[in-house]
Amino acid sequence: MTDFDLVWKNLFRRPLRTGLLIISIFIAFLIFGLLVSVNVALERSSESGTAGNRLVVANKINFTQPMPIAYVNQVATITGVTAVTHFSWFGAYYQDQAKSRFVGFAVDPATYTAIYSDQIKLGPGQREAFIKTRDGVIVGKALADQYGWRLGQVIPISSNIYIKPDGGRALDMRVVGIFTGAKPTDPTTALYFNYEYLNESRTFGRDQIGTIGVVTASPDLNDTVAKAIDARFANSPYETATVDEKTFQRAFLKQAGDLNFIITMVVAAAFAAILMIVGTTLVSAVRERTKEIGVMKTLGFPGGRVLRMVLGESILLSGLGGGLGLGVAAFMLKGLSKSAMGASFGDLSMDLSVALVGIALALLLGLVTGLVPALSALRMNIIDALGRR
Amino acid sequence: MSLMNQTGSVIMMNVRSIPQRLWMSVASVVSIALVVAVLLGFLALANGFSQTLKGSGSPNVVIVLRDGSGAELNSVIGRDQIDLLAGGPGIKLGADGKPLISAELMLVVDGIKKSSGTKANMPLRGIGPNGLAVRSQVRLREGRMFAPGSNEIVVGAGLLREFAGFEMGKTIRFGAQTWRVVGVFEAPGTVFESELWADAPVVQSLFKRGTSFQTARIALTSPEAMPAYLAYIKSDPRLQLKAQSEQAYFAAQAERSGLLIKYVGWPLGLIMSVGALAGALNTMYASVASRASEIATLRVIGFSGFSAFMGTMCEALVLSALGALLGTAICTLLFNGLSASTLGAGFTQVAFRLQVGPELIGQAVILALVIGFVGGVFPGLRAAQQRPLLAL
Repeated sequence: MTDFDLVWKNLFRRPLRTGLLIISIFIAFLIFGLLVSVNVALERSSESGTAGNRLVVANKINFTQPMPIAYVNQVATITGVTAVTHFSWFGAYYQDQAKSRFVGFAVDPATYTAIYSDQIKLGPGQREAFIKTRDGVIVGKALADQYGWRLGQVIPISSNIYIKPDGGRALDMRVVGIFTGAKPTDPTTALYFNYEYLNESRTFGRDQIGTIGVVTASPDLNDTVAKAIDARFANSPYETATVDEKTFQRAFLKQAGDLNFIITMVVAAAFAAILMIVGTTLVSAVRERTKEIGVMKTLGFPGGRVLRMVLGESILLSGLGGGLGLGVAAFMLKGLSKSAMGASFGDLSMDLSVALVGIALALLLGLVTGLVPALSALRMNIIDALGRR
Repeated sequence: MSLMNQTGSVIMMNVRSIPQRLWMSVASVVSIALVVAVLLGFLALANGFSQTLKGSGSPNVVIVLRDGSGAELNSVIGRDQIDLLAGGPGIKLGADGKPLISAELMLVVDGIKKSSGTKANMPLRGIGPNGLAVRSQVRLREGRMFAPGSNEIVVGAGLLREFAGFEMGKTIRFGAQTWRVVGVFEAPGTVFESELWADAPVVQSLFKRGTSFQTARIALTSPEAMPAYLAYIKSDPRLQLKAQSEQAYFAAQAERSGLLIKYVGWPLGLIMSVGALAGALNTMYASVASRASEIATLRVIGFSGFSAFMGTMCEALVLSALGALLGTAICTLLFNGLSASTLGAGFTQVAFRLQVGPELIGQAVILALVIGFVGGVFPGLRAAQQRPLLAL
């Protein structure tokens, strides 16, 4: 019989108690795995689709304020700028405003699909068709699947902002392309259509745009270029604020609230609870065995070996619960990312780093909860141990 | 000895012996307390947000947006339509004898969120002389109202709490224009506290909005006048507008906060409950095991199995009640009244305070007692079914 057999037998001598402990450890690690992974996915989605050498130019007052379209050409002349495009929020929805809102931008087809080609992967000939077709629209694959849109179909896309001269809100658009993202897991629930088509049909806001996208010659030039752009339009009626894509997206995400704080609190609460439960139960479990430990010591088991066996038991326990919790969390995340709601988060699957941190936490939990009973077993005097009832 | 007496004394014996199993009992209490605190925290967060929205709407104020625009930001209303709106029935008259109608425009400007240090969307509202009259909750706390025709701004107290850059006396630049903060207003428990206000004509000209507005608020003589006024707007083909009571407008926005409770708060609370339940079961089984000879003795001298069951059951309920108490105390001390902000339905930040209320505490306490009940049933049954002679 090896030491491991002994540890294993000790652990399961009261299967109900051990089972219950494993359940509570399992729950804590399930919560850890799920919440931390969602947080990681959100952080990553704020960076996905960003590139180091791309900048976002918006109105300095706020990004919902417009800028004149003439700015696009002026930005293009600034040193260090290699490409420019623009995009404007459309407030798009399909048929029912309350239920079917999605991301829709009016863009310049040629430059937009060139600059963001890493996120908008179109089939052969579709980019050319988009550039040529005045009422053309390219649709994300997830969106097309959701509404059953096919290539060549004409779909009415409405705006909750703009109105046509006849009072209508819907623009008839022809589907000329269906795009996928850089990775198969990237969310593709957006559509892009020709800015000219919007501009000629709207009753206000004509020749104004929302945002300018800029590519710089190198990320090292970002700061210089951003400053030059903002200086170019300083003291004009439309001042600008230029930042890199990552900063822009992160600030937007932070508007929702302090998610990090909430997740940290919940995970901490879950771990504090199991630390108490497992810790106190193990102390009483080892107490129960005082006599046995006395016998083992009498038989010549050195103190260190007894210590290792008790610690081994607690680590095995938290390893089993933790591993199970992380495993089930990974499995649930996989299922969740296939659902419609999960898809909007992007890649939800558990990161290797999350799994590794989880495993380290499980080891730590085992050490901490086993420490007190292990030390008391180590210090135990044979005479006392055999005498104790 | 009657069954009642028997049961009563066993319960007392159980409860009094809790200190003998102090640490495991404490572990149970703390784990239940943490479940209660987490659930209550989420409920308080959602409750504070929805109460703020609901508290903003008045039943005798009509809010009018352009038909089809979901939010104020997307709405456009012309001067001529405002004049038509003033002709409706049942409108309250102001001190000057004119109908109390406030034509307003709202646009989004940047502020810095204190908690994250990043840019966030602030609503800048241009209001007219009737802006205060249609909002009875608002009063000036500091400084004065903006002077008509000037680049002056008054700031809501909630916005000041959560966002930097709009302090009293400060000069702010929006684009090429500078504005000065001349007053702070408060309207506790409403979204208005999260807004910046300035003179409507000045905002129109400096932000190039011509003479257009985005919303109109109309104060009626009473809530009963509402249906007639809404019918008036519907019947006039020149008014392609969507009118509703302010109360209904904000209540619809408050519904969103229910999603947080439904999809995050309760699922998380229930998952954590399973963990706490496993802990409670463990504690109670240990309690039964440690009292095996005591229970057996009682049975031999004639105590019923029921009294043994009830003793264990009540011990579990006492532990869970202590946990509920501790959890509620933690949550109330830590979170009640805590200021927070999030992006509201109007695409701008709404500042609010977390609110722990009696109804929410009731829900969390019930969850704790359910944990206690389930955690007591099975160990209780074991205690009742124990064969006395075997245990002795």
